[in-house]
Amino acid sequence: MLSRVAESLFWMSRYFERAENTARFLDVNFNLLLDLNKITHVENPSYWIALILVTSDRERFNSLYEEYSAHTVTDYLVFNKDNPNSITSCVSLARENARSIIESISSEMWEQVNNLYHYLQSVTPQFVHNDPYGFYKEIKNASHLFQGITDNTFSHNEGWDFIQIAKYLERTDNIARLIDVKYHMLLSEAQNQPEIVEGSEDIIQWMAVLKSCSALEAFRKVYLSKIDPDNILRFLILDRTFPRSINFSVCAAEDALWRISGSSRHRYVNNADRLIGKLEAELSYTAIEDIYTKGLHHYLEDLEQRLVKVGEQVHLTYFAYHTPEIEPVDIEEALPFTGVAGGRAYWSQAQQHQQQQQQ
Amino acid sequence: MSRFFERYEPETSQFFDEVIETEGAPRPHYDKMLQRFAQFSIDDIKARREIVNIFFRNQGITFTVYGEDEGVERLFPFDLIPRVVPAHEWQTIEKGLTQRITALNEFLNDIYHGQKILKDKIIPAELILGSQHFRREFVGVKPPLGIYIHVTGSDIIRDRQGNYLVLEDNLRTPSGVSYMLQNRQAMKRAFPVLFDKYKIRPIENYPQELLRTLQEIGPVSRREPNVVVLTPGIFNSAYFEHSFLARQMGVELTEGKDLVVNNNKVYTRTTRGLEQVDVIYRRVDDAYLDPLVFRPDSKLGVAGLVNAYRKGNVTLANAIGCGVADDKVIYSFVPKIIKYYLGEDPILENVPTWLASNPADLKYILANLGTLVVKAANESGGYGMLIGPESTIEEQEKFAEMIVANPRNYIAQPTISLSRHPSFFNDTELWGCHIDLRPYVLYGKTITIVPGGLTRVALKRGSLVVNSSQGGGSKDTWVVDE
Repeated sequence: MLSRVAESLFWMSRYFERAENTARFLDVNFNLLLDLNKITHVENPSYWIALILVTSDRERFNSLYEEYSAHTVTDYLVFNKDNPNSITSCVSLARENARSIIESISSEMWEQVNNLYHYLQSVTPQFVHNDPYGFYKEIKNASHLFQGITDNTFSHNEGWDFIQIAKYLERTDNIARLIDVKYHMLLSEAQNQPEIVEGSEDIIQWMAVLKSCSALEAFRKVYLSKIDPDNILRFLILDRTFPRSINFSVCAAEDALWRISGSSRHRYVNNADRLIGKLEAELSYTAIEDIYTKGLHHYLEDLEQRLVKVGEQVHLTYFAYHTPEIEPVDIEEALPFTGVAGGRAYWSQAQQHQQQQQQ
Repeated sequence: MSRFFERYEPETSQFFDEVIETEGAPRPHYDKMLQRFAQFSIDDIKARREIVNIFFRNQGITFTVYGEDEGVERLFPFDLIPRVVPAHEWQTIEKGLTQRITALNEFLNDIYHGQKILKDKIIPAELILGSQHFRREFVGVKPPLGIYIHVTGSDIIRDRQGNYLVLEDNLRTPSGVSYMLQNRQAMKRAFPVLFDKYKIRPIENYPQELLRTLQEIGPVSRREPNVVVLTPGIFNSAYFEHSFLARQMGVELTEGKDLVVNNNKVYTRTTRGLEQVDVIYRRVDDAYLDPLVFRPDSKLGVAGLVNAYRKGNVTLANAIGCGVADDKVIYSFVPKIIKYYLGEDPILENVPTWLASNPADLKYILANLGTLVVKAANESGGYGMLIGPESTIEEQEKFAEMIVANPRNYIAQPTISLSRHPSFFNDTELWGCHIDLRPYVLYGKTITIVPGGLTRVALKRGSLVVNSSQGGGSKDTWVVDE
């Protein structure tokens, strides 16, 4: 398969997953505030800062808005075209990538990307304000539908595997960030107001983390006992069967990478396979106490760095195939959430200035 | 007569009408169609229009309008009434095009090898050697099978008497064949009963014929040639067609940056390393193909491609340098070219053409700018034209200056009243709209022309310009056996 096609599949999938995750963060935050309403002051910007911290976008946000509020954060994460990670930007980029390989994907996949794009073009901030639940559900469902369509209309060969790698790398990264930020917030609050860390707000916040991963019900089936942070972390990081846990997602990415290269356990053929295999092996033998020993924040930060490395190696191994005359592509361009929107969509726009006449 | 045709005004005294012979009398090959349309109400037509629109939208058959905000995507205008070409007329077109393309290919072989036709002074040498499409670098380079023009799309019109005339030879990268194929699909969905009533020759095998042609012209050393399509990219207005053809043929659609040349061989960059390419169906103009040889600022091409081509390691379809033969000045010599190489009279006539480079013709052109159509020799897509009867005095004066400054670059032709075909306006009434026909000719070991082609319609009332970039649309074209 052409490297360019593989790369576009990868970014199409990654942007779609990113749009879904952003919708999840926002959705849960709204729900959370409805619950907390009764306990504390919801206008408190700290509830909205968290969403910006998740996407490591504080600087850009500050350059565009004066304050952290429901209004500004929603605008930034849903509509803002200067934010490459806003839902609108992600869906546009997913669509541009899909469009550039329209002959390679199934027409049903294209229709679904296109539908979501046109839906977003028709949505106004007022609409989101009036019915946030309905809006975010639409985005999540569109993403699920896209994945279902992909699984059922697109051959499960190399191209499909690139779609899976992108989806699960993106998802892992998002879960890690979500946990990290929530934990950070709870800690700092605990320092300021020691009396509430064990209180109901704590529980509600942790439930929100679970909900944003659609994990509350699945969690309850496994851990019937009370909701406590240890079990929640155990579930979101180490569970091997829940599709929005870190361990599950890393395993799925590993499977897809191995299918492409033919690697197997103890036998890797490239660095991408080696790094993902190492990560997966470590996760399999990690207990929650090990994570605490290292410090949760450090653990998650390290995990995010390692995911970036896997992404780099996928890029070098499959997309940036180069002969000696060709300069290797600058990997910084393709990192997730670094602020530079990676992928092909931007890059191909350089061509639009060269329009030849049609015969 | 149907309710639509009752109110239709063919104006047969002024135009050749494809459907109506004289007021009230349809041509025989349109009888069954008129009977069928007589059964339709306006609502029936609207319902069928909806079927067609949904089909086109779902297929993503849109073209992008530039200059507007964010490049708006529009449906390509499509007219519901098909054009019917009886088999005996098609036979003339087929023979005429085969003759013409064979002669033009001989001409290209000659121009890039012996240049006999110049030595025999059939064509003034300066017209060839001074053409911007003449590629000096390719003199002496022989493409496989000696074929230069593998895919062509000549534009054919009909004059007042209904004679088929060739208006233009598009020998570089003619577009529109995907519309020909999709128009047929759309019509099958919207008018299945009508299909039953005619013996319509199929065109669906075009992609297979194209692939076969491309495989036949691969370098001799490679037994199973690896064919790719080369597109300028998603911002090109014909991108849909490029991806459509690649998908239909089952070959890779590549952009310049997917290809790399190493040791004078061309490769695609794949997830499994480099794979050698043997034949490139390129939809990129000569000038953008290779920044080392042509435009150095081109981002659409591949560095080193031309050397690989010269070495015979890769075949380009069409070959480099074909533009020298579809120049509008050279066009006027095609009847002589046919006579010179084949010893035959042309089966399809040209439109009379005056060359501004010829002093006597120049005088005539300048004196008659108000009635002639003036065209720049190297432009396409309906750009760089002056339509005399529709122009202002200022426009004529501007063109006169340009012609005098660069006579080699201009030709003039009489304003031909192209034949007209009834077309739906707002799906409620029929107008006579001017049409032309672009059949697609494939040249591999043999010449193949799928029966029909793209009929382009000037859907603006009274307009003569059928190009899609200038507001034209298209309709399905049926070659029918009687």
